Amino acid sequence: MAARRKIRGGLLLLTVLGACLMLPPLVYVFDQPIAHFGIPQIVLYLFALWLALIIGTALLTHALPREGSQTDPGEGER
Amino acid sequence: MLSADFVIATAVGYVGLLFVLAYFGDRRARTNTRSFLHSPAVYTLSISVYCTSWTFYGAVGNAARSGLEFLTIYLGPTLIFVGWWFLLRRLVRISHDQRITSVADLLSSRFGKSNRLAVLITCIAVIGIAPYIALQLKAVTSSIQAVAGSSEFGRGSLKGIDDVSLAFGVAAGMALFTILFGTRHVDAKEQHHGVVAAIAFEAVVKLAALLAVGIFVVFVGGGFENIFSKAAEVGITVDASNTFDSRWLTTLALSVAAIVCLPRQFQVTVVENSDENHLRVASWAFPGYMLLMSLFILPIAIFGMTTMPAGSNPDMFALTLPMAFGQDALALFAFIGGFSSATSMIILESIALSIMVSNHIVMPLILRFSPAGSGDGQGVTSLLLIARRFSIVLILSLGFFYFFFTRDSDALAPIGLISFTAIAQFFPAVIAALFWRDASLKAATAAIAAGFVFWVWCSFLPSFESVSPQVATLLANGPWGISWLRPEAMFGLDGLDPLAHAAFWSLLVNILTLTLGSLLTSQSALERIQASVFVDVFSRGQANRSNFVRGSATANDLFFVAERVLGERRAAALFETEARDSGVEPDMLEPSPEFIGRLERELAGSIGAASAHVMLSKVVSGSDVSLEEMMQMADETQQAIEYSQQLEKTSAELRSTARQLEEANAQLRELDSQKDEFLSQVSHEVRTPMTSIRSFSEILLDSDDIDMGQRQHFVSTIHQESLRLTKLLDEILDLSALERGERTWDNVPIDAEAALDRALAVCEALLRQRGMKVELGDRARSTMVEGDADRLCQVFINLISNAVKYNDSDKPVIRIASAVKAGSYVAEIADNGPGIAKRERKLIFEKFWRGPGGVADQGGAGLGLAISRQIVARMNGSLDLAPGPLPGACFVVRLAVMK
Repeated sequence: MAARRKIRGGLLLLTVLGACLMLPPLVYVFDQPIAHFGIPQIVLYLFALWLALIIGTALLTHALPREGSQTDPGEGER
Repeated sequence: MLSADFVIATAVGYVGLLFVLAYFGDRRARTNTRSFLHSPAVYTLSISVYCTSWTFYGAVGNAARSGLEFLTIYLGPTLIFVGWWFLLRRLVRISHDQRITSVADLLSSRFGKSNRLAVLITCIAVIGIAPYIALQLKAVTSSIQAVAGSSEFGRGSLKGIDDVSLAFGVAAGMALFTILFGTRHVDAKEQHHGVVAAIAFEAVVKLAALLAVGIFVVFVGGGFENIFSKAAEVGITVDASNTFDSRWLTTLALSVAAIVCLPRQFQVTVVENSDENHLRVASWAFPGYMLLMSLFILPIAIFGMTTMPAGSNPDMFALTLPMAFGQDALALFAFIGGFSSATSMIILESIALSIMVSNHIVMPLILRFSPAGSGDGQGVTSLLLIARRFSIVLILSLGFFYFFFTRDSDALAPIGLISFTAIAQFFPAVIAALFWRDASLKAATAAIAAGFVFWVWCSFLPSFESVSPQVATLLANGPWGISWLRPEAMFGLDGLDPLAHAAFWSLLVNILTLTLGSLLTSQSALERIQASVFVDVFSRGQANRSNFVRGSATANDLFFVAERVLGERRAAALFETEARDSGVEPDMLEPSPEFIGRLERELAGSIGAASAHVMLSKVVSGSDVSLEEMMQMADETQQAIEYSQQLEKTSAELRSTARQLEEANAQLRELDSQKDEFLSQVSHEVRTPMTSIRSFSEILLDSDDIDMGQRQHFVSTIHQESLRLTKLLDEILDLSALERGERTWDNVPIDAEAALDRALAVCEALLRQRGMKVELGDRARSTMVEGDADRLCQVFINLISNAVKYNDSDKPVIRIASAVKAGSYVAEIADNGPGIAKRERKLIFEKFWRGPGGVADQGGAGLGLAISRQIVARMNGSLDLAPGPLPGACFVVRLAVMK
């Protein structure tokens, strides 16, 4: 149960951190007129953050134990 | 070269393909519940209906006009899906449990199954979505026109047809298509597997199309780097200096709300969800889908701005770029992609809205105007379908009218944001519904209504600025010249971005009304029950959630209701299952409260919670629903608060145990200190005779020249002291044995008077020695009491000898009397000694207490009274100090007389 709680905590942290990282003032840190590989840094940053959120969610969700699949009680009646 | 005729023909063919797909998808899903259509992949793809032509065309235009802002529309939903465990999972679980059919049904069910709230939400949704539908119509129209305008043959049969007529044609076609598609039958859970299959297919098509265009653009433009650097050469850069302002925050917040509250998103994410675990995949796969969709939007926009002639519509770059490079096949694919994104949105949105309209507006009207038990079997079902078809037409007409009135505005994205702001008004109520037990119906209704009013004023009305001079004047001067009511500068809040302004005011008023209102108003019983069902969805067991008792309902009545809504076949199946489960003949079925509860949820799946509740309460308890229902509700409330009471009880128990322990601890400390005191007293008592024994024996040992007489005196002192010591130890042992009740004690009938006489006889020598005068008062006759004769005698001797020892009077007198009073034998022993000072009266029965004024060497250990009192207590009597006939002390022994 403790591991499960920690993973849930991780998901919450990921959500809140993700929100903070895409909002001012943190986003200003990366908002510099520099380009890497010809692409503005801020564009790279936002897409990288996005990708990190997706991968983080996938890993955490995968680690989270499944609950019993909730099939609907009405399913069998049709 | 592409022509309008050709693309329209392709579109119609594509729609036909979708239809076939939906038809087979439906059949497949029905026959096989474990098919591919029930997989998380299809679920995720169906959620992707979020990416409409706003994404396909509008995002490119948005990126061209205002840089990175388009990303917020996808980052917001990403956050919701990253945190799926906290919001979406809860929503899905509740909706499964309660058979929720729409966001209006969700809120109505949570807030006491209120139909008024459902009607309000439905109306707001229908009006609020109109701009969004208009956006799709505009996108499809523009894309057809873009193809038509590309060459001189392009127009084909569209010659002389303007945007409005084309949009009308598109709207009519869409309405027909949606009716054919989504309203063929009424499903128990409002799940449309066929439609979902088609939507999933369209999601693949639009993604593939946009990726194809994107890869083509990157290829033609010579890679990402080249596109960006070439654009920079002509002065086109991604300018992010003003991106992260209030507008960034606003659009992000609105998209967070929209992914949850948009009717079609609620439909696919929550209602069409067949397994909670599908959310696990969607949590990362849907953000991934959006990431792929957004990947090429910026390059397409930048490349379009660099290469396309000035003045071309950036919204259509995804379509016009391939055409400009002569890639007709790719352009056609892009058109189909855009068409896919528009159709999937329109189909699902109008299905979701039509369900809301029919369940929350039409159905209650039918219920109100048709008495229960009338109408034929399929009546309600067919009425529902007709209502849904009409609402689809209505919804598309509203969209078309909005398009008609605002056709001059050119960008797509701002139109969509108007809808987002309207739909976001539901979000605070949804959050409160799921997490805040005290949120009340009145507050939620007022909050949504107030938010909606502000939306109409600040966001909806200003969108007509370009077509209506009146609105333009209003915007400039405010109504009747009241400048602080100007729609885009409310209360003088000027200079803010109009969207941020509208979102800020409407949501502020909304949230304030909801929170303050909930604190100030109270909930009804049903609201409280539903609140606990929603808020405690994961902590409550699968308790019986029926709100009915075994009332006057017969199986026949219930069957009639079920048949009207569900149709004969399903109703019969439902009742047969129930009969089989309870082991009786279907004709003999007695509807149990659980069954009625299940029936209500089953009906709620078709007609919404509020309507189902009204419908069943008509049958179940006849016209008189209130009392029984209230009792049941009280019962349910009881259940709901039961576990908190249990907690309270446990903590009270713990508290009392702790208090008891504390008391026991204090008692132990007290006893411990008593023991210490006793020990020190005993040591002290023992020490005195021991000291004299030791010193006398030392003298005897050390000096040989002691004469015989002195030696004799010393030895006799030693002897006396040892006797005293022995007596002391005997008494201590006796007392401790008495106190602990170790000694066996037989109460036998004895003569108390005889014991008293014996004691007097024993003490006679002592009395005579002191010259004590004995006054004998009235004496009782021989009286039988229960006790031990020797012990009683011991008590009397102790009392008499005390009277002798402590008497320092010149003419000592002792007075002894006895009597039988009120069934008790009472013996009084009084003297004319110094008496006992008031403050010592309590102490005299303590161990080792000795009278201060006593004769110096009386040899007692101070245990006599303590022992006497213990003895009398063992004989069920009492020994007390009483005011006596003589000036000194008077001890009274009371013993019960035997009958």
